[in-house]
Amino acid sequence: MSDHMRQILESKRAMRQQLAALPFAEKVKLLEQLRDRTLAIATSPLKRQMTHPG
Amino acid sequence: MKATLEVINQMQADGVIGNYAIGGAVGATFYLEPVATLDIDVFVSLQGGDASPLLSLTPIYDYLTTRGHKTEKEYIIIAAWPVQFLPPGNPLVEEALAQALETDLEGVRTRVMTAEHLTAIALQTGRAKDFARILQFIESGTLDVDKLDGILQRHGLVAKWEQFGDKFKDNL
Repeated sequence: MSDHMRQILESKRAMRQQLAALPFAEKVKLLEQLRDRTLAIATSPLKRQMTHPG
Repeated sequence: MKATLEVINQMQADGVIGNYAIGGAVGATFYLEPVATLDIDVFVSLQGGDASPLLSLTPIYDYLTTRGHKTEKEYIIIAAWPVQFLPPGNPLVEEALAQALETDLEGVRTRVMTAEHLTAIALQTGRAKDFARILQFIESGTLDVDKLDGILQRHGLVAKWEQFGDKFKDNL
């Protein structure tokens, strides 16, 4: 594994730890944002076009 | 989610359900970084436990639908969150429900399964996303190894845990 890739993975791990350490209430707010984003993607016309090309 | 929990707490106060505990991805978020999920898994102990799970969930659905909450497939939408109510289907989940941690979300009390029980349930369920969650728990360092070991032994999951370790040792 290259040094650059190692740095990226380490940075991701640090970010995950930082997020995990947040208070539950703040993590729930992030969950709600993630849920809204997921729903927006799922109902996007672009996604429907890709899923049902015909 | 605060409003969702208030409704569930009221349902408990009204005697429709007994103890409850949040599991699944939302439960895991208590310990780990948030991951995208569309629903909340709420494990409930039910009044009149002899009935079949489907029949015993009926009072929950009746209670909530008469108060204007809509159903959508196996979910009930409570304050914008699809909630799935799950009766404990086996001794592991019963134990997880009994030993859940009491906490609060912005002043609303609730209960969340322990990290060790969530890990054991994920192992027992055994889908790809469950294995990913176990890896997250291991990486986070939040697991009490002795406590997890006891759970795995009590519920016959030691061999499965070893298989998991063999399969994912490069990720640990």
